Parts: sequence; structure tokens; C-alpha cells
Amino acid sequence: MEALKIEGLSKNFGGVQAVKDVSFTVQAGERLAIIGPNGAGKTTLFNLLNGQESATAGRIYLFGQEITNMPTHRRAHLGQGRSFQLISLFPKLTVLDNALLAVQGTKPSSFQLLRPITAYKHLFTNAQELLETMALWEKRDDVVQALGYGEQRRLEIALSLASEPKLLLLDEPTSGLTAAESADIITMIRNLGPNITVVVVAHDMDLVFGLANRIMVLHYGQIIADGTPEEIQADSRVKEIYLGIEEGTGNAGAS
Amino acid sequence: MEFVVISLLNGISFGMILFLLTIGLSLTLGLMGIVNLAHGALFMVGAYVGWTVAIQLGLNYWLALLLGGIAAGLIGLAVERGFLRHLYMLTNEQVMLTIGFIYILTNLSLWVWGGLPRAPFVASALSGSFPILGGEYPVHRMTTIGIGLILVIALWWLQEKTRFGAIVRAGMDDKEMTIGLGVNLERVTYLVFFLGAFMAGIAGIIGAQMLGVNLDMGWDILLLALIVLVVGGMGSIQGALLGAMVIGTINAFGIALFPEFAMFLMYLVMIVILLVKPTGLMPRGV
Amino acid sequence: MGVTKLKPVGQPWHGQLIRFAPYIVIGAILIILPLFLSPYVQGVLLTKILIFAIFAMSLDLILGYTGLFSLGHAAFFGVGGYTTGILITRFGVDTFWLTAPLSILMATLFAAVFGFIALRVSGLYFLMVTFALGQLLFAVAWQWFRMTGGAFGLKGIPPPNLGIPWLTFNDTSLYYFVLLIFIICYFLLYRIVNSPFGYALRGIREDEPRMRALGYNIWLYKYIAFIIAGLFAGIGGVLFAHWNMLISPRHLGVVTSSLGLFYVIIGGAGTLFGPVIGSAVVIGIEYGASLYTPERGPLILGTLFVIVVMFLRGGISPHLANLWRKVVKYSYGSVKD
Repeated sequence: MEALKIEGLSKNFGGVQAVKDVSFTVQAGERLAIIGPNGAGKTTLFNLLNGQESATAGRIYLFGQEITNMPTHRRAHLGQGRSFQLISLFPKLTVLDNALLAVQGTKPSSFQLLRPITAYKHLFTNAQELLETMALWEKRDDVVQALGYGEQRRLEIALSLASEPKLLLLDEPTSGLTAAESADIITMIRNLGPNITVVVVAHDMDLVFGLANRIMVLHYGQIIADGTPEEIQADSRVKEIYLGIEEGTGNAGAS
Repeated sequence: MEFVVISLLNGISFGMILFLLTIGLSLTLGLMGIVNLAHGALFMVGAYVGWTVAIQLGLNYWLALLLGGIAAGLIGLAVERGFLRHLYMLTNEQVMLTIGFIYILTNLSLWVWGGLPRAPFVASALSGSFPILGGEYPVHRMTTIGIGLILVIALWWLQEKTRFGAIVRAGMDDKEMTIGLGVNLERVTYLVFFLGAFMAGIAGIIGAQMLGVNLDMGWDILLLALIVLVVGGMGSIQGALLGAMVIGTINAFGIALFPEFAMFLMYLVMIVILLVKPTGLMPRGV
Repeated sequence: MGVTKLKPVGQPWHGQLIRFAPYIVIGAILIILPLFLSPYVQGVLLTKILIFAIFAMSLDLILGYTGLFSLGHAAFFGVGGYTTGILITRFGVDTFWLTAPLSILMATLFAAVFGFIALRVSGLYFLMVTFALGQLLFAVAWQWFRMTGGAFGLKGIPPPNLGIPWLTFNDTSLYYFVLLIFIICYFLLYRIVNSPFGYALRGIREDEPRMRALGYNIWLYKYIAFIIAGLFAGIGGVLFAHWNMLISPRHLGVVTSSLGLFYVIIGGAGTLFGPVIGSAVVIGIEYGASLYTPERGPLILGTLFVIVVMFLRGGISPHLANLWRKVVKYSYGSVKD
């Protein structure tokens, strides 16, 4: 069962081709990590998958259904969840409010006008489960602005899980975290189970090698390598590209 | 035929005034991302000052033009330096602040000049008309077109051919880089702002030849400028010029053909553009 | 703006009372006040404040809660008022039970059309378009003499005819009528902003891409909010027409729309009660100015507005709310608020 299929996807920004004729398939249940140097087009690719950017060419299929020109919110209803590289929370609301808003997104009650939100018990239950998965339930009454960075990152991921997605897109989920915090996140993602397909964009090699059963390397908008972690580690082209930035990233892999 | 030519000339001359008014707004907005809705009020103040110098004091018209422009420019600069500067990137706050200044400037003008509108006034050298196609056409309208053209070319030259223009464009595209290269972007920003406000003031005095001066101008002129921006597109000289010409000509033909509905024609054009091409006909980047 | 906290169900009753105390106190004041004031003051000041408070609250729905900056909101206020005026003075329909719903319906329809056009764009463009659309309506009202009375407007609009034989309106009874409608509107809007829909609006104001990724159809929310705001503005307009007895083009135009902005921002956007306070403050200042420095009213308002924008971000009401919290804390020890 194909969770995601991309055919000939390209994106032009003026003269710059951020994504160049990319094609690949992701099977349901896979854990795919997309890596590559800065500017390789990883976030643009995610924006295309998510609908934030529209493709210049190519097609995208989500569980067999074409979503190439579908607006973002409808993709969410089809089972897509996304976390953002730059933390996108609602800073002046509490953690619980954030979760409620997130959980409500794909439910019909979101258009209810006249009953207070406190009347919708099932939203609260869902929000509670969500926050407990990410160990944030105790902080539910704290305003997001007051949370630590690590906690905000966890909430960011929690929000992306709110719609019970079948395909989860995580954009740099451990960016800026300490090693211990990253390890927690990696465990949480590992515990998500086989019913969810996860695609991660990352620079954090601990995350990549700790999580992925498949790695894709993007360079100047094109896929230059695609395989199991062992294959990628042995790939000479990949080493070439990364040798230049090995010092920059935290842990640039064993080799 | 004569009718068409006259209306066309009317449209172009009015369009020139719109251009002069709008270009300042378009540049500070499209180029620097600063919203200044008090722009129409600056137009009004420039016109009032010009009137005072030219009519009340009876001095040279061109001096009035200069002083009116400077008055508007200084006020605009004061608003920017004193207030807008602290609201960097806060568009909504800038909108609100400058609306507050419309109220302030309009009321101050009421205080200084009183509530009676001023009749249109023209330089003595420019009064009178010259024959065209068997009829007569006012000299001052022709010179308005002329002045407008000169300023268009001057602005274009400034933007494309001078270091100053390059700095402005660079600052718009990548502010940090420009500052990092040692360019005094702040000084340039002040100059652009002053220039935009100055142009608004000059537009006010030139516009007074056709429109007179009154206290409703703060909002009325702003609306016209905004329609021009929507139609023509923001951030480019070509856009402002195109939008100004389109609106000016439509307005002129509208007034000639069905005077009560001329206003509505402009609104209609704006709505159509919005539905069909929301970014305008020639925004920056095209 | 402002922190929302959801209180878990099952709080002790006196906790709930604390929350509603301000409303009860203010409500009581509003009801008793007329006994102490001359009818003139009621008629001129209090009723006017309440009417424009409804207008301001409706604007706050799209401005404070959804983040949509409109400079043309008075259009719907004016449509409500004009429809009432036209129905009564041009068509002789004088029963309130017919003119009011029709007027509100018209306002809502206009909001549906204008909203559709304006929401094609966002940000500053949205502001410009709402401005232009409002002025378009202004121009229509100005030109269409036969229907709208042109620049002079429609005069002689009587107080509401409720069909109740012994009820004729004077300043005081009109005040209570308006107060009643104000309370109903406040209650409805309160429910709306605290409903799932209302929370979605706040989310949209804060972070649109995030909301889209969560599955929200942003455009639809904005559109519905815009229409609802237009509806309530129309209610304000209906009351205004009856109270002012005259409606003219400037009640549709940018001057009234920008005053609406003043009410909301000075009072505190995104707090539903803020606009009410803002309305009281601004109208109070206008009244005070008319007594002492009649020509300088707009100058004072403009300056106040600039001060609020520069230094009192969030308006007056958050500061009042803080004050209230301090008072409560002082009297009750610590109340988990």
C-alpha cells in the first residue's frame, strides 16, 4: 500500500529550481528520513507535500488519491499531519487550548457557533490523550510562551498528531534540542506504531539513524541517493557532500 | 474626435497628479514595507501651504511649490522618525498610527486655515489656454503632464542609474546584507521617506490647480491612491504610472460621458482587477 | 490578545460567581444609572454609547479575534440604518417587527457580497478594498437622492413601533430598549467567541499556516466571521436610525468606520468588553470636547489613538482586567483565575 507517491515533482522560484524532477514512493508504515545540505530543497519539498507551495510540475498522490493541487486543509482531512521547522504554536494560548484547537481541526464541531468549547467533552478527551503521549498533560494550563524550548518542540509534534494522521511529515523535529531531549523525541516517534507512516526531514544524525529504515539524500533539489541506512553510510557521493559540513552538525554519522 | 483628445488630455493630466501622489506611497510601501496612510493628508497639507505662499502671501508660484513640498516632506519625515520607526514590521500598528495622524493633521489644518475650502489656483504664468484642434485647452494641464513626465524620468533614473537607487533596491531585497556591506541604510530610508512625502506635497499643489484644497482630502485622496495601487500594482514606478493613467483616463471619460457615475466606474475597475488579478497589473517583480 | 484559560467543569460555585461579578455589577449600574442622570444625558450619551458599542463589538469579531483589518465596516451599520429609514419613510412600512429583520438581512447580504470580494486579498490590500467598498456605498447613498435623500440623508425616522399600544418611546424608555438589545447582542457574541468557531478564529489570527495544516478551511472561517460581524453591525445601524432619527451618507463611510477602529483599539481588541469601554471613552471624549473645545475633538481623539498605539498596546481593557484581578486577589487571597 503506497502511502505517498511523487512523480516528476518540480518547483521553480523565479530562476531558482528548488526541487528538480523528484520521484519516489513511500510505503505505508515506512520510516523515511530525507537529508541533505542546507538549501537542498528539503523544506520546499515538504511545503509541496503539505500544500503550502504549489508545484510547478509533477504530481503527488496520498494513499492513491491525487492531491497535487489540493488545498492544505483538505490534505489534513485526508490523513496528512505536519510539524514545522520554525515552531508554529499559538503563543498566547495555553497548552490545552493549543491541543483543543488542533484536535478540533478535522472535526465537524469546529463550526459550532453558540455552545462554549467547554461543552465538547470528546475534544477534551482527545486533547488529553494527545498531551499525555507527549508528556505535556501536567503543563496543560501553562501559556505556551512560558514553556521551555524543548517542551514547545514536543507540543509542536503533538499538534501534528492531533488529526490522527496516517502520514506524518516532521520538519526538523529535534532542531535546537539537547541530546537528552532529542532522545526523548526519538523514542516518542518510535512508539507511534506501524499504522502511521513517518517522513522526517533532519540534520540530526542521531534522529536519522535512530529512526529511519530508509534514507533519501537531496542535493540541489534532486535525489542523489536512496536506500537503507547501511547503503547510505557506504555511499561515496553522500560522504563527499557531507564531508564539507560534518563539523557543523552534531553527530554526522559513524563514518 | 476633439472630444476624445480633450478627454484623453484631461485623463493624462489628472493621472499625472495621481502618479505623483501614489509613487511616494508605493515606494515607501512596496519598497520599504512601511505603511503610511497619512499620505493623503500630506497631499492636503502641501496644498494648503502652497496656497498660503502663492495666494495669501502672493509670492512666486514655484516657490510655493517648493515650500509646500518641503512642508509635507518634513511632516512625513517627522512621523517616520518619531513614530513609525518604532513600529518596524508591525503593519497593523502602522496602519492605526497613520490613521490617527490623518485625524491630527486634518484637525490641525482646520485650526490653521479654517473650514472653508480653497478654490483651485494656478501660477500666473500658466493661466490661460492655448488652441488645440479648434478648441482651447488650459496651459496648466499641459504643464502638469510635462512636469509629471520629467519627474517620472527623474525617478526612473534615480532608481536604476544611481547608487542611491541601487541601495534602495538592495535594502528592499536583503536588508541585513545591505547593512552588513557597510551601507548607511537608515539614512537612505529617511531620504526615500522624505522624497515620497515631498512628492505628495508637490502633487497637492499641482493638484490644487484642478481640485482646490479642502479638509476631506486626507481620506478622499488616500482612497484614489489606494485604487491606483490596487489597479497598477505596488512597489514599482511602472505600476504606479500605469495604474494612475488607467484611473485618470477612466475618470476623465467617465466625467465627460456620464458625470454622476464617473466615481463608480473607478470602483468597478478596482473590483474587476481584484477578482481577476489581485496583485495588480504591474507589481514589482514583473 | 489576552490569555484564554479553560476552566475545567466542576468549579465551586463561588468561583463562577467571581467570574461573572463584573457583569452583574456593571449590568446593575447600567440599569440604575438613568435614575441619577437627566434624560438628556441618557439620550445623548448612554444610548449612543450602547449603540456604538454594538457596532464596535461586531468590528472586534473580525478585527480583534480574527485579525482582519477592515476600514469599511460602517457600510453594514449604514445599510442597516438606511434600510430601516427607507422602509419607513419611502415605503411606509413602520412596524419594527418587519423593518428590523429586513434591515438586518440587508446588512448581512451586503456583508456576504463585500466579504467575498474583499477576502480575495489579505493584509493591507484587504484594508484598501474594504475602504473602497465602504466609500462606494457612500457614493451610492450620496447620489441616489430619490431613495436615500442624497447628501442630506433620511430625516424623521421615528422611534421603533413595536405595535404595543401603550408604549411610546421617550429618552428613558428608548435607553432601556437599546440596553436590552445590547445585552442580547453581548450575550450572543460572547457565546460565539468562546465557541469552537471562536477559538478557530483566534487560531487563524495567530498562525494561519498552522491552522491550515490542522485542517481548517481558513477562507470559510473568515468569510463566516465577516458575515456575522456585518449582521451585528446592521443591528447597531437599525438602533442608530431610530435613535438618531436621521441617517446620512457619512454613517456609511470611512469616518464612521475609522471611529469604529478607535473604539476597538482604544478599548482593547480581542476582548469583547474592550470595544464597549472604547465606545464609552471615545464618545465621552467627543462629548467633553463639544463642551469645552468644540473644534479640537478630532485632534484629541487622534492624539489619544496615537498614544494608545505607541504605548498602550492592547488598549485600556487589559489594564482594567489586571486591576480587577488584583482587587479580587486582594479580597479573596489567591483565587485560581
